[in-house]
Amino acid sequence: MKRKISFLLNGSPVAMEVDPSRRAVDVLREDLGLTGTKEGCGSGECGACSILVDDVVKLSCIMTAAQLEGRKIVTIEGVGQDGELHPVQRSFVERGAIQCGFCTPGMVIAAVGFLKENPDPTREEIRAGMSGNICRCTGYEKIIDAVEDAAAKIRGGGSGG
Amino acid sequence: MRKGAGHFLDGPRLDAFSKVTGQERYAADEYSEEFFWAGAKRALVPHARLLAVHTSRAAAHPGVVRVLTSRDIGGSNRLGIVRNHQPVLVDEVIRHAGDPVALVVARSREALSEALELVTFDHEPLPGVFDPEEALKDSAPRIHEDNGEGNLMRAVRVRRGDPDGAFRDCDVVAEGVFETSRQEHAYLETEAGWARVDEGGVLVVVASTQTPYRDRKEIAAALGLDMNSVRVIAPYLGGAFGGKDGITVQCLLGLAALNTGGVPVKMWWDRRESFLAGMKRLPARMHYRLGAKKDGTFQALSCRLYYDSGPYAGLTGEIMAMGAEHAGSAYRIPNVNIEGYCVYTNNALGGPFRGFGVPQSTAGMELIVGMAAEKLGMDPLEVRRINALKAGDRNCMGVELKYSAGFYDCVDRLVEHPLWKGREAWKASAPPWKKRGLGVGCMAHAIGYPALIPDDANARVELTENGTVRVYSSVPDMGQGNAGTYLRIAGEVLNQDPATMEVVQPDTDHGLPSGTSSASRTTYTFGNAVIEAAGGLKGAILRAGARSLGVEGIDSVELIPGAVRARGSARQVALRDVAALIDAGDRSCKGYFRTPYDESTLSIMYLGAHVLFSFGAHLARIEVDTLTGRIDVVDYVAVTDAGRVLNRSVYDQQVQGSIAQGIGWALMEDYVMKDGRHETGDMATYIVPTSLDVPDMVSAAVESDETTGPFGMKGIGEVVISGCLPAIANAFHDACGVRITRFPLTPERVLSVLAGQGEKA
Amino acid sequence: MVDVRVPSSLDEVFRLLREEPSARLFAGGTDVMVRSFPDTLRRGPFLCLERVEELRGVNESATEVRIGAATRLSELIASPLVADRFPLLREAARHIGAPAVRNMGTLGGNVCTASPAGDTLPPLYILDADVELRSLTGQRRMPISAFITGPGLTQLEEGEVLCAVVIGKAQGFNFHHFEKVGQRKAMAISIASLAFAARTGGDGTVVKARCAFGSVAPTVFTSRVLDDTFSGKTLDRDVLERAAAIIREGVDPISDIRASMEYRRQVAANLIMRLEGAGKDR
Repeated sequence: MKRKISFLLNGSPVAMEVDPSRRAVDVLREDLGLTGTKEGCGSGECGACSILVDDVVKLSCIMTAAQLEGRKIVTIEGVGQDGELHPVQRSFVERGAIQCGFCTPGMVIAAVGFLKENPDPTREEIRAGMSGNICRCTGYEKIIDAVEDAAAKIRGGGSGG
Repeated sequence: MRKGAGHFLDGPRLDAFSKVTGQERYAADEYSEEFFWAGAKRALVPHARLLAVHTSRAAAHPGVVRVLTSRDIGGSNRLGIVRNHQPVLVDEVIRHAGDPVALVVARSREALSEALELVTFDHEPLPGVFDPEEALKDSAPRIHEDNGEGNLMRAVRVRRGDPDGAFRDCDVVAEGVFETSRQEHAYLETEAGWARVDEGGVLVVVASTQTPYRDRKEIAAALGLDMNSVRVIAPYLGGAFGGKDGITVQCLLGLAALNTGGVPVKMWWDRRESFLAGMKRLPARMHYRLGAKKDGTFQALSCRLYYDSGPYAGLTGEIMAMGAEHAGSAYRIPNVNIEGYCVYTNNALGGPFRGFGVPQSTAGMELIVGMAAEKLGMDPLEVRRINALKAGDRNCMGVELKYSAGFYDCVDRLVEHPLWKGREAWKASAPPWKKRGLGVGCMAHAIGYPALIPDDANARVELTENGTVRVYSSVPDMGQGNAGTYLRIAGEVLNQDPATMEVVQPDTDHGLPSGTSSASRTTYTFGNAVIEAAGGLKGAILRAGARSLGVEGIDSVELIPGAVRARGSARQVALRDVAALIDAGDRSCKGYFRTPYDESTLSIMYLGAHVLFSFGAHLARIEVDTLTGRIDVVDYVAVTDAGRVLNRSVYDQQVQGSIAQGIGWALMEDYVMKDGRHETGDMATYIVPTSLDVPDMVSAAVESDETTGPFGMKGIGEVVISGCLPAIANAFHDACGVRITRFPLTPERVLSVLAGQGEKA
Repeated sequence: MVDVRVPSSLDEVFRLLREEPSARLFAGGTDVMVRSFPDTLRRGPFLCLERVEELRGVNESATEVRIGAATRLSELIASPLVADRFPLLREAARHIGAPAVRNMGTLGGNVCTASPAGDTLPPLYILDADVELRSLTGQRRMPISAFITGPGLTQLEEGEVLCAVVIGKAQGFNFHHFEKVGQRKAMAISIASLAFAARTGGDGTVVKARCAFGSVAPTVFTSRVLDDTFSGKTLDRDVLERAAAIIREGVDPISDIRASMEYRRQVAANLIMRLEGAGKDR
């Protein structure tokens, strides 16, 4: 049983026939080839599959394809504009917040969503804001540094905030 | 030491761009127009004789391509590194719940999951054994009938001096039994791979693996293939930490791909399967005794270490041996009796995990040192300073430290640290219901393989016909950034901007065998080989450049980014033009390096001992909530001697990541099994630290010059993790005046001990 | 393959329910979808309530605040009305999961899952919240304590939808406290939780107090005797120790992979001690 769904994906309209119970993460990775969104646990516990749904961070591994209908979806491939890195991405690179990189797309999405809600966070607020994204490599410190740095960049009038 | 100018060693990671944009393609990201999914039917019983596997119902599923059992395997159907006895698919005996009994290849993931439920098997349950000390009893069920020593997988016994006599003469003897937990790697990318048989009949396996060259041999032997008809490719890994040091999906994938008529096959374990079938840090029970004189000098150490191997040897014997080798940590102890036992059980697979057996024995040693300091009435850092190994000393194995050894300086830095100096005031100002304490944990960690196994590497650095530099990495990058570091090292030697260079990830078709991504060796060993290879290439480029510029000798030219320039002039020739002057074969240079070793250590212990070590000393400040038993690590200071720091950011990544994993192991990580059943099953029950559970950390480097290391460095990947558990546990004792000897230090254990009710399970 | 429908109005929900009475309802998916996905979905079809307009948002009448069942936890936390009137509920919601989970999970979901570890439940018991249920044939309203009948069990009937949680405005508390014990500081499932609200005088004397515990009994643990212990007293150690004894006696926890029964019992009683000296000058 397939149903037609339409949504806005990284700024472009998408219309597709899909099994409505298919997981959103599989739709993105397998049907649409956007493998930047990762799956780490399949049960909403690690944040690797984070995407923005109408500007809100959600977990695509516990979301069905049917729920994508009509939404504005942003995946890691849609963060940053015109080939320019988003300030969050720049800060992740500059502050050494990336090791194996498998949590990174979800981390970046989570940080982008968090900074939209809280553009001037304290370090403790950043820790809380990123607490749903497991990183097994970095010990988080450089990730927190990066989000702190990105907040400053965005407040300072960087692009893409 | 070869000193670098330092232009190109520092800077952001070169793999960061592709990773931060989601473009990096991991093994889990392989897809194509047409491909099949493969998946294993897991036994879910810990010990049984397999009588029959029923595949017909699954085979009849319309979405199923093939259902394969051990009978479909043409080779030995056995995996192993030291002992070949782990079946790819079980043919006789199921030895742990994660053992695979059948392999299903299906057209979709949904069909795969349905078909796996349709596979059934008959089995005769066998009594299991789940505790290593129980497993050593004569009455225990045997896990491998052909193992000569019951369930004993391997033993290591080292005796030096006269420990019995020395203990009699000691003023103080501390004694304790400690137990550490089964730690799960919980890398974000679960085991994944992709395989196909190519047009030439070669089985190509793309896998998330630390060990492509060793995998190729194992795949070939197990599946009955010629090694030359197997190719293994290792892209960037989404984390590994030792858990992908060996076969996970590779052989199952290979078997599947041999049966699909050329259609590629994908295998990606979900988190449950990863937990069920993946390797874990070996749980250990350690009996420790340490004797000292009143002046604080250690005189004698006696310990018995039991490591739970799980059902198959894998690398567990070597892990235990490494633990035993480090049982005396970084101290001078003239009389020792160290016994290590690695024992088969029907628990989860044991395997490498950052530290390779050392975190366990270091925990035992540092806890007993803490207890001895208390009995001596001495400052814990002072006791460590008195006994600290220095260059020229002999460690507990009797191996003389001939290489850099900055351990004393590490401890010394802590003595001077403001958090240590201000400890009494800080403790005294604890808020209501909180107790505060500080603890120390120190460690040593050997670099590379033990003496018997050559720790060597073959690097290849090439000037492409376009005039760019390409480095062939043979050691996978599991996240530590070694691939980028190789570029930086080559860039440093060749004076080229690494951003203009290219690294080729390990591929058994392109590179040369260089060992594994493990053992704190990836940058040390392969980096040295890169220096030699790049040096060779530099000579070839300079010679051709000199000829092209019409000057005499290579001393009259120099490499500058993108070109060769005549010294003292503006005349230069682009590398692209230089490349055209060099024979294709000469544009590719090899470098070889073997880590220092000492053959005389072969008589000391199994595989011989190591000679080169990194060191560290840690300080943890913790707060214990007396109402809930929760421990907060409030501050953490790690001082490390891993030689020269080539790239501060990449170095601190290893330090900080290790501390987070160490805090997790100390406080919350415990993969729970009961009678061979996996009680832990997902990320909601296997608890790893979040960003709120780890403090900001201080990382300080004692940069001893390691003359054998690339630009003076030693391995940093593993040493740090060993200090965390004992630092936190010693801090707990400092805060509360009681000791916990079973780990992790869960709130429940803490509260029980604080209530005087002992340590509950 | 299983159908998942995402209706946008209650009418549509009831129409779909008439067609498919066995359809399973969910909103955020953070409970229903977390189990291994294919297995969950084989037990469909599903009705996703996240877009049902009548179920969303926080509204007030003269006497009550109505929180739509499909109001996401993050929206609840951001609601000025909730922050102003029911800070205890807000505080508890902040302890659930992590931001993405709170962006998906809803108040109605937390109530209908009826887990002993549902973190919004203890405050809802203290606040005497009602649930509003609707079906094609009618509407009913009942106290949350009557609605939840056991672990994972509620009075929700087939064809019935939880539409809102309704809380009276006049609570009369000037002090609140929430503490959750989990295995870590985020993404944690409660081992025990304490919600406490009180009306105190300036000297800290308790006029009235309400206590509720999560994860230490099949449903939220409350006790009239316990609440009465505080009346007319300040929160000093004697009073709290008496309360702790009542808690230790009264709770009925289980052992599971997260904690033992003994620990849950002990820590529940201990949590009340945190209140020592609290409630003054508020």
